[in-house]
Amino acid sequence: MSIEIKHLTHIYNPGTPFEHKALDDINLKIEDNEFICIIGHTGSGKSTLIQHLNALLVPESGEVLLNGENIYADRSKLKSVRQRVGLVFQYPEHQLFEMTVYKDVAYGPGNLGLPQEEIDSRVKNALETVGLDESVYDKSPFELSGGQRRRAAIAGVLAMEPEVLILDEPTAGLDPKGRDEILDSIKLMHEKRKIIVILVSHSMEDVAKLADRIIVLNDGKVALTGTPREVFSKVNELEKIGLAAPQITYVLSELAAKGYDVRTDIYTVAEATEELYKFLKQVK
Amino acid sequence: MITDITIGQYFPSDSPLHRLDARVKLVITLLYIVSLFLIKSFIGYAFVIIALAIVIKVSKVPFKFMVKGLKSLVFIIIFTALINVFTVKGGETLVTFWKLSITTEGVFFAIKMALRIILLIIGSSLLTLTTTPIKLTDGIEALLKPLSKIGVPAHDIAMMMTIALRFIPTLLDETDKIIKAQQARGADFDTGRLRDKARALVPILVPLFISAFRRADELAMAMESRCYNGGANRTRMNVMKVTSIDYTAIILFVVYWVVIIAMRIIL
Amino acid sequence: MKIVRAENVSYEYTKVVEIQGENVERKLMALDNINIDIEEGSFIAVLGHNGSGKSTFAKHINALITPSSGTVWVDGYDTKDDEQVWNIRQSAGMVFQNPDNQLVATIVEEDIAFGPENLGVEPAEIRKRVDSALQMVGMDGYQKNEPSKLSGGQKQRIAIAGILAMQPKCIVFDEPTAMLDPAGRKDVMETAHRLNKENGITIILITHYMDEAATADKVYVIDDGKIVLSGVPKEVFSQVDKMKGFGLDVPQVTETAYNLRKLGIDIPKDILTVDEMVGAICRLKSNI
Repeated sequence: MSIEIKHLTHIYNPGTPFEHKALDDINLKIEDNEFICIIGHTGSGKSTLIQHLNALLVPESGEVLLNGENIYADRSKLKSVRQRVGLVFQYPEHQLFEMTVYKDVAYGPGNLGLPQEEIDSRVKNALETVGLDESVYDKSPFELSGGQRRRAAIAGVLAMEPEVLILDEPTAGLDPKGRDEILDSIKLMHEKRKIIVILVSHSMEDVAKLADRIIVLNDGKVALTGTPREVFSKVNELEKIGLAAPQITYVLSELAAKGYDVRTDIYTVAEATEELYKFLKQVK
Repeated sequence: MITDITIGQYFPSDSPLHRLDARVKLVITLLYIVSLFLIKSFIGYAFVIIALAIVIKVSKVPFKFMVKGLKSLVFIIIFTALINVFTVKGGETLVTFWKLSITTEGVFFAIKMALRIILLIIGSSLLTLTTTPIKLTDGIEALLKPLSKIGVPAHDIAMMMTIALRFIPTLLDETDKIIKAQQARGADFDTGRLRDKARALVPILVPLFISAFRRADELAMAMESRCYNGGANRTRMNVMKVTSIDYTAIILFVVYWVVIIAMRIIL
Repeated sequence: MKIVRAENVSYEYTKVVEIQGENVERKLMALDNINIDIEEGSFIAVLGHNGSGKSTFAKHINALITPSSGTVWVDGYDTKDDEQVWNIRQSAGMVFQNPDNQLVATIVEEDIAFGPENLGVEPAEIRKRVDSALQMVGMDGYQKNEPSKLSGGQKQRIAIAGILAMQPKCIVFDEPTAMLDPAGRKDVMETAHRLNKENGITIILITHYMDEAATADKVYVIDDGKIVLSGVPKEVFSQVDKMKGFGLDVPQVTETAYNLRKLGIDIPKDILTVDEMVGAICRLKSNI
């Protein structure tokens, strides 16, 4: 699976005084099995962009190609597009509606008209991937903890067995433990299912841990793109558009600015420990 | 998109009509609606149309905005007119086919009926277009206050209206989001039989209600923590005052009514 | 002077749990013998993961709930005294997590006026308070705006202004930034700090974000209804293993310093900021 976005432009309320260009000639290519993180502040166009990838929004101009096929070309294939590109919205637990977790997760595959056996196996599989076991199957979603509820909601999209999974700020409002659990299960499902994962996030620390490639959006345009190492080493450019690198990156770039010979493309605690240890030992 | 719905929309501007006290506007609108039912002749309708045109001009609200409100009601207007055309009998018979006949009286009555509905809608939408929801609510509360002695909870009604108005945009946004989220899970709201369509609403309505309850719960707590204790001993920041504009409006409206009554007696 | 005092506060609630197919009522402790003294004018943070009991504690300060045992005094009033409940809520205002669900009116100034209106303040005085409250949160000029059209951070500042108009001595922030983006979080935190420094308002911040707690005068960590750690941020965050055990984060620099110490490098363990870290490394370098 590959996604290609060509000259994508989206305008909200065109022709009215509230007209707003949310996306401005976006061009991107996402390869098979990539883990992409999209960052950018509110209003940068992140949410608008991802809603184009499964045709929930229709662009003003431009196209989105799934494996080379334009998703807007044939309206009758909409359902298949939405099955292949799964989208998990912000606070997805607010969309749970069934009496039991199991039934709720089964809603998506049910809509695809699959045989019951297939639905059952997908539901079980999806719940297992997000780390929820059989004990929750017959529970009401409201009996679960906040983090579990969110994982159940993600399983609901996962059960459609998408080839691309998009998550809009999946850790919003969770505490550190809930956040780590969600991120771990996303990482696991990326490794196990070999699918494209696109994660929209505000948190640089989260992004740093997961992404193969980061796409920075600003004002409806792609401002920066590259590996975390490439993107976070451009601290100045990030700051210019109101974003920041992880805290530890600043320590190393300030040391470098003072004339010390340290690497500045470091963004995790483990790497920083190693680099600083080497740096301090080397002189001793 | 669902968020395009505009009920009782306010059109911000600074016209004398906007500055009018909400209570005065409410009473005038009510009496204006009553007056529509007293008119018999086409001259009477002409008079109301001219009067309304002047008021619209004064309000600085573009006529386009007024018509927008009518669009969704075109069906009702045509339907009432059609019923009247076929049921009201009198005068010359114009056309007859099968068991139905159209008479001159029927046509006149249908036109009058349609005019009455259009004038009613435009007149009352003028109230919401020139009055902020909050002032409207305050006006209703003030007008209902005398009734609180006989047990009408004037303050509670007003507070409920305020909260409803406050949460309409929030819940519309939310509905939009829920629809999209379920579509992303393969929900289909466009095709299928009526029964399937009704069933397709469940995944939207259930989360919407749950969210509304959650919001209500949190709002109640926030209001309590801000010392809300019902209407007792409450003051208001904006005190409503009747000014010279209001007196002018009242006098002009009395003149309007005198003409309406005179026409009913004379013509 | 102590603005808030909690003495041996416990809060019990019953929950129906299913054990082997049967519904059993269980008594659970949301708060377990909490003792906290909060100085007037201070900025304190209460840190804990979701379900640790920190929000239950916050609601005690506003008399939205009262303890099962023990006593909470707010500005000298016992929260169990029904007569004083309005005085308590006037002296200790509360800002909640969801900005959408705490704004009452359709126009900003009407919403801010809501509190003082409930207190029966004179109209002219309310007007003055509304304008000055908006100024204090940096939202002057937004009087006639619709809350639903503002950003999350702006809505939250309107909520703060609504509390300020009641002229409280203390504001409890119950996870005020959990639903905001980084820009909104920054706005709200800066506002809280400014109100504390410039207006002397006591701030009690309930949060699970360690970077927000790191800027407080004092931090309490709650876990399972008990206070498990307390002290100035440096003392609390330097206990990296304990913090992680409570399901909390520590700043990246603190964790790196902690790791370096384990490797035998003599770096201070109470580093919280980038500047402190850079300074410490430079000192280590020049000492050699």
